[in-house]
Amino acid sequence: MKVNTASEPSLLAATGLTRTYRGGKGVFDISLKLASGEVLGLMGPNGSGKSTLLRVLATAASPTAGRVSWFGNPDPRLPSVRRRLGVMLDQAAHFDKMTGYQNAWFFARQFGLAPEHARDRLEELFRWSGLWEARDQLVGEYSLGMKRKLNLVEALVHRPSILLLDEPTLALDYRAELDLIERLQLLSLTGTAVLLATNDVHLAERICDRVIFLHRGRAIREGHVPELLTELAGTKEVQLQMNSPIPLESLRSLPAVEAANVDGDTVHIVLARGANPAQVLSVLNGTADLVSNMRVRRPNLGDLFLKLTGEALPVARR
Amino acid sequence: MMLAGSIWQRELVEFAQRRRALIIKLAFPLLVGIPLVTAAPPFYAGLSLTMLIAIIGTLGAGAVLTRERQTGLDLRYRTLPVTPGRLLIERLSTSASIDLLQVTPVLLLIGLRHPSQFAWWPALLLSTAAVLLLGNLIGAVASTLSDSPGEVMLYVFIPLLPLLYLSGVFTPLSQPVLLVISRLLPFSYLHESLLGALAGQPNLLPWETLLGSFGFLVGAAGLTGRLGRLVTESD
Repeated sequence: MKVNTASEPSLLAATGLTRTYRGGKGVFDISLKLASGEVLGLMGPNGSGKSTLLRVLATAASPTAGRVSWFGNPDPRLPSVRRRLGVMLDQAAHFDKMTGYQNAWFFARQFGLAPEHARDRLEELFRWSGLWEARDQLVGEYSLGMKRKLNLVEALVHRPSILLLDEPTLALDYRAELDLIERLQLLSLTGTAVLLATNDVHLAERICDRVIFLHRGRAIREGHVPELLTELAGTKEVQLQMNSPIPLESLRSLPAVEAANVDGDTVHIVLARGANPAQVLSVLNGTADLVSNMRVRRPNLGDLFLKLTGEALPVARR
Repeated sequence: MMLAGSIWQRELVEFAQRRRALIIKLAFPLLVGIPLVTAAPPFYAGLSLTMLIAIIGTLGAGAVLTRERQTGLDLRYRTLPVTPGRLLIERLSTSASIDLLQVTPVLLLIGLRHPSQFAWWPALLLSTAAVLLLGNLIGAVASTLSDSPGEVMLYVFIPLLPLLYLSGVFTPLSQPVLLVISRLLPFSYLHESLLGALAGQPNLLPWETLLGSFGFLVGAAGLTGRLGRLVTESD
């Protein structure tokens, strides 16, 4: 994939980054740059390498090959580098025998906040996240959503220059998701660079400046969100909810169909420009009662991914 | 509410908050130690207490680190702005200090039962600290090979039992080669200081045991720092 050649100085840059695990999985030859105030999305299905890539960029794992630099520095173990990173990994890991506030206090102090600043910042963030009332509760008693919110508080508390967030909206309610989007937009305006690993196409379209599609560990496409969406202009996405399976090959062979895939009981079809959604029904050959629901909508980044890879992004869970 | 801003403080706060574990941890060595110190012959008491202290040291950190790998906490530690060496030294020295607190009632009991052996007390304290820190380090390294706390037990006992044998803990060593080997192992100094403090028949003088224990304590601290990356960054 091409390195972004944007003129702004990069806070984070990776060249030819590879991280492999036993069994051959991992990420391969990834190059990217992240500038101040930029929001970059990493998108791909489960197992595509998003979390692996984010772990390396968050200094939680070392690359097998390639180079990464943070603020121009290639050493991931430098405390001065890590102090400027805010990290939320895929696992909501905490010290379960300590309260939410004790956990957050520990991370705030570790990342260099003075006690009086830690107190003020934590109160603001605990109130913002809705965890204030549960601050003295043991984390072991928290729900997954509360643990994820606590992860966000801990990632944000020291006002990092780069935020690296893995599925930040996972397990959040809609209100919390909106609050998070608003905060990330605000942080981005004030110069914080944000790297998001997400399957949530709506989140990506709403806040990402650029996205990188990952497929089987490789970056298959990168671009600014409006440009990527332009590629789908004039096309439509048809979703057929099926009572029983239908052969995808016959759907894919239709000239009107650019891509088709199945996710659970729903068939996702990207229609070519000018194609009529009714054309896909012809494949059903008079057995339209197999379809329990049909939706036609504006295509999104998930449809572009489907078009590029033939695989659907999983539906974002809340 | 107790707040912890540093790694060692956090370990202590969590330990203090786990009341049931705290009581069990403090009571268990005493339950084993009381009959040994008050009634057993010094050689058997020294043998059993050396094993007890070595096991307490090796299992504590090993089990915790393996559990952290399973929950993903190890990754969170890796992103903290501290070097791997400092991280491991801070964690293992705190864990060893907690272990030392755990065996302190037994050491006090030995002092009360044999007050005339006070010349051995500094050596006993230092050799206990050295074995606990080295034990924690062995457990930490074993955790990098293990997927569960049970597996850690297996991996620490495999080297521990022959090392205890070679230290002369199970049978008195007479062959010169074995005697030299025993002096290269920290458990022999703990065993010697226990024999001395229990009014048994040690082969070394108190100051020799003190010196050897000091060397192992310093060596253990240095080795812990060197192995920081191996332990904290192992997948």
